[in-house]
Amino acid sequence: MGTYIVRRLLGMIPMLFLITVAVFLMMHAAPGNAFDAILNPGIKDMAALKQRLIESAGLNKPLWWQYGHWITQFVQGNWGYSFTQHQPVITLIGPALRNTLLLAVMAEIMILAIGIPVGILQARNPYGRFDYVISTFSFVLFSVPYFILAIFLIYFFAIDLGIFPAQGAVGTGPGAGSFVDHVDHAFLPALAIALVSTTVYSRYTRGSMLDVSRKDYVRTAYAKGLSGSLVFRKHVLRNAMIPIVTQFGYDIGGLVGGAVILEGLFSYQGMGLLTINAVNGRDYPVIMATSLLFAVGVLIGNLVADILYAVVDPRIRYN
Amino acid sequence: MVEPLLEIRDLRTYFIGKDVEVRAVDGIDLTVYPRQIVCIVGESGSGKSITSLSIMRLLPQPRGKIVSGQITFGGQDLLKLTEDQMTDVRGNEISMIFQEPMTALNPVLTIGDQITEVLLRHRKLNRRQAISKAVEMLQFVGVPRAAEIVHEYPHQLSGGLRQRVMIAMAMVCEPKLLIADEPTTALDVTIQAQVLELMKKMRRDFHTAIILITHDLGVVADMADHVMVMYGGQIVESVNADDLFARPLHPYTKALMESIPSLIEEKDTLYSIPGTVPDAASFPTGCRFAQRCPLAQPSCFETAPELQQMGPGHLVRCDKVGREGEGVPM
Ligand SMILES: Nc1ncnc2c1ncn2[C@@H]1O[C@H](COP(=O)(O)OP(=O)(O)O)[C@@H](O)[C@H]1O
Ligand SMILES: [Mg+2]
Repeated sequence: MGTYIVRRLLGMIPMLFLITVAVFLMMHAAPGNAFDAILNPGIKDMAALKQRLIESAGLNKPLWWQYGHWITQFVQGNWGYSFTQHQPVITLIGPALRNTLLLAVMAEIMILAIGIPVGILQARNPYGRFDYVISTFSFVLFSVPYFILAIFLIYFFAIDLGIFPAQGAVGTGPGAGSFVDHVDHAFLPALAIALVSTTVYSRYTRGSMLDVSRKDYVRTAYAKGLSGSLVFRKHVLRNAMIPIVTQFGYDIGGLVGGAVILEGLFSYQGMGLLTINAVNGRDYPVIMATSLLFAVGVLIGNLVADILYAVVDPRIRYN
Repeated sequence: MVEPLLEIRDLRTYFIGKDVEVRAVDGIDLTVYPRQIVCIVGESGSGKSITSLSIMRLLPQPRGKIVSGQITFGGQDLLKLTEDQMTDVRGNEISMIFQEPMTALNPVLTIGDQITEVLLRHRKLNRRQAISKAVEMLQFVGVPRAAEIVHEYPHQLSGGLRQRVMIAMAMVCEPKLLIADEPTTALDVTIQAQVLELMKKMRRDFHTAIILITHDLGVVADMADHVMVMYGGQIVESVNADDLFARPLHPYTKALMESIPSLIEEKDTLYSIPGTVPDAASFPTGCRFAQRCPLAQPSCFETAPELQQMGPGHLVRCDKVGREGEGVPM
């Protein structure tokens, strides 16, 4: 298993390299640059200033040179300076990454802690009342776009009930910046991400449970004299979780994608907001770093999925 | 006079849907004595599996229902037991093995787990004792490397080995009755013979009675003490094995016998009975076999024949064949 993980991690390197090339090219294909926006009539020699800034950032050099420069610096741990925020990229990414990870983890917990048990309960009595209510509710929820849901949550929880903050990743006043404060701020955006996925996971769990209940080996288990609840725990549940656990790993990447959109709506200072601002400001060093990290997130998610798959399914483990 | 081990009286098992009623088993009587091997033969769809699942009370839910009858086993009516009491019977006094050894074992549990599970349920053993008993049983059924195989998973074993594991699992509590539903159908011929041999050994060493379901009369000839031929959810002929092959009476039984591939004539194609089994959701009013029967006469399509005594212990459901020794054309 150890060598397998190392091999997979090494296998990611060429992939990530290609992704950086693609992002670099797309970024430069978009019109404008970071310094076009500087419009200060107080500065006497605007054109000369812009030219100086462009040269100091190396933007006048050929693209291959710029890319080569970026990557050699990057692998040495020098991620460059933000063009617009005048801080090292690493300093910007630190807290943003932490906030987004918290958001993603909270959303995942909500998805699994609600979606799977609900799906299991539905499967215990398929086409029963509970199943019917949940299925209808899921269908409605599933057809509502993300941002409408987010606005509804903000309205209900933040404005109407006033129990959760709707903006930002940290508060002000006493206790600001504590872990609880962070969790408090991540709650609503996490819920907005989680709600739709929860319906997907409950449906998925329900289907998988029903599917496994019909398997021959479940009948074998009953034929041995095991009680219904033991058959359920030992034979049905374990097998039914295999596709779910795997899907969960693959979804980690997509979850981060969902975070990008919702961070904007909640002004939540995470990787998504950082990236959106960087794209708007043509802040190349920041764009390169954040997109690379997103790619790493997706690839790691896939790796986690494959490892989990092997953990839960001996047929994979032994091949 | 030996007491019967299992006695089924007028068993009817239906699948009841909104506007259909599938009469999968439609009035079956069956008696099994200790150490006896009873074969149930018949084409696919004749109700063999549902008969055995009725005995185990493991019918496909929610639609499968035993609508009437008695199943007396060791003096108690299984149909009167609570589900809880029934779990004490399953795997302990009556065991079952299924057709598909590839899918009948749980892919994520080790062989050892799956065998010890039965022991831990029915015997007061700790894990260590259960494992050693499992290994012993695997050795007994001829699984090589038994001590290693208990730590392996089903996908690591061949089909033949898996069926041996299934037998070990079914026999580990030494049940009085083993129900085997087409246990060799999915296996190739040499493995098939070995598994059948193993079942005979089980009967010899554990005194287990066996209900063996098959559609292969070759298997019946090899194994059976008593044979029941099923058609359309009913018994059409019931007799001891020797008499069945010496004097088959029901036209369906005869047709089945003609469909045994003959080794001497080197026929490649299997003769099969023309037509198909009737739909259990709408049986005809008359004889259920009439449409395919070479002896059928108009009256056969009108009145359903009863099961009649045609010789000592020889029951036949046909009005057009005479009693033994009465010179009926065969
Ligand atoms: N789950 C089910 N729902 C409805 N009908 C069924 C079901 N299982 C079996 N049957 C019907 O019951 C009849 C007997 O089936 P079965 O006992 O499996 O036949 P055999 O084992 O002899 O091939 C068939 O007509 C079949 O269609
Ligand atoms: Mg069958």
